Amino acid sequence: MKKDSLIYTVLVTAVSAFIFVFLLSLANGATSEKVAENQRVLEAKAYLTAAGIAVKEDMDVEKELMTVFPQFDSARPYQETTLNGKKLIVAPFQGSGLWGTIYGVLGMSADFSRIVGMEILSHSETPGLGGRIDEAWFKDQFSGEYAVDGIVIRHGGGKGDTDKDNGEVDGITGASRTSDSLQQIINDQIDKMKSAKGGMN
Amino acid sequence: MNGDSPAKILKENVWTNNPIFIQILGICSTLAVTNNLTNTLIMTLGVMFVAAFTNITVSLLKQVIPRKVRMIVQTLIIAFYVIIVDILLRAYLPEISKSLGPYVGLIITNCIIMGRAEAFAQSHGPLISAWDGLTSGLGYMWVLMLIAFVREILGFGTVFGYAVLPETFTPWTIMVMAPSAFFLLGSVLWIAKAIILKKERGK
Repeated sequence: MKKDSLIYTVLVTAVSAFIFVFLLSLANGATSEKVAENQRVLEAKAYLTAAGIAVKEDMDVEKELMTVFPQFDSARPYQETTLNGKKLIVAPFQGSGLWGTIYGVLGMSADFSRIVGMEILSHSETPGLGGRIDEAWFKDQFSGEYAVDGIVIRHGGGKGDTDKDNGEVDGITGASRTSDSLQQIINDQIDKMKSAKGGMN
Repeated sequence: MNGDSPAKILKENVWTNNPIFIQILGICSTLAVTNNLTNTLIMTLGVMFVAAFTNITVSLLKQVIPRKVRMIVQTLIIAFYVIIVDILLRAYLPEISKSLGPYVGLIITNCIIMGRAEAFAQSHGPLISAWDGLTSGLGYMWVLMLIAFVREILGFGTVFGYAVLPETFTPWTIMVMAPSAFFLLGSVLWIAKAIILKKERGK
């Protein structure tokens, strides 16, 4: 067959496309379990953090998750548990940030007076600016924060915010838009959790 | 060009014909991933891997592929290896995969890889092509690591995530943002060109 004939060209392109895509689907199939496991571990860690539990390196997070949430069921809109005599409600959230969707998990006390913990699952904010919402110092600010009227992510000041009773957390310098978006997402989420819980009772 | 020795190829790709500061290729990723050393290292290793294997594959298949569609097949091969890298990162280094995000996929559009496949692997044997891809990746790597080092230490006060500067150091926010990569890349270009030109004048 001539090398520049139409049939040869089409044939070579089709065959090479087939081979490469076939190999890729093999690789994908071989690792899909591992990827799904990583995702489960990530989510389990997020639920634990949102419930106010410090996740350690060597922890079997999935086991720990079942201990903390004995009735864990990902089909339900939120999970409930009682830790140290306090009732908690934990639910995943999502909403639009500056560049893309921010996914995370939020834990609240069952009377919605305070946030227990907040964890970010994934986001596409600017690395080093809005992306810092995924840093521990920022997320830690949420735990224990008073949130009866929602929260405010503050701009400016430059002194930080250590007061857990004012419903305010310190925003990220240079990332006002991400801070505003996250404030909106968290407050919407608190309302959603309130109505989801109210509707079920 | 068939008589190129490995040492000459190494010198060209790393210095005299460096993909970043002489050919000015792959600039998008240079600006995007260099605000942190760990991400830069993984990203540049990914590029090295993809460049080397793409070159081997293109070199092996060059007799079979019709000239008319060679670019399409090259892109297919590059995409294949990039997706492999992405799959491996997602399975075994989930944290890094999370922070690199879309940039791994963007290796496909890195002109260095396409450029080496077209300019070198199309006319050379598989082994020397692999070496060419590897050293091109190395030329890309050291310049990016240099930029990332300056950006991370001034932008965060850390090296590979470890704090090296005192608490009292005020991080330069500009170093974290894309513009600083422009300034630094410009400076690297300037210095490299100055050294190369000085050598040429000396001859």
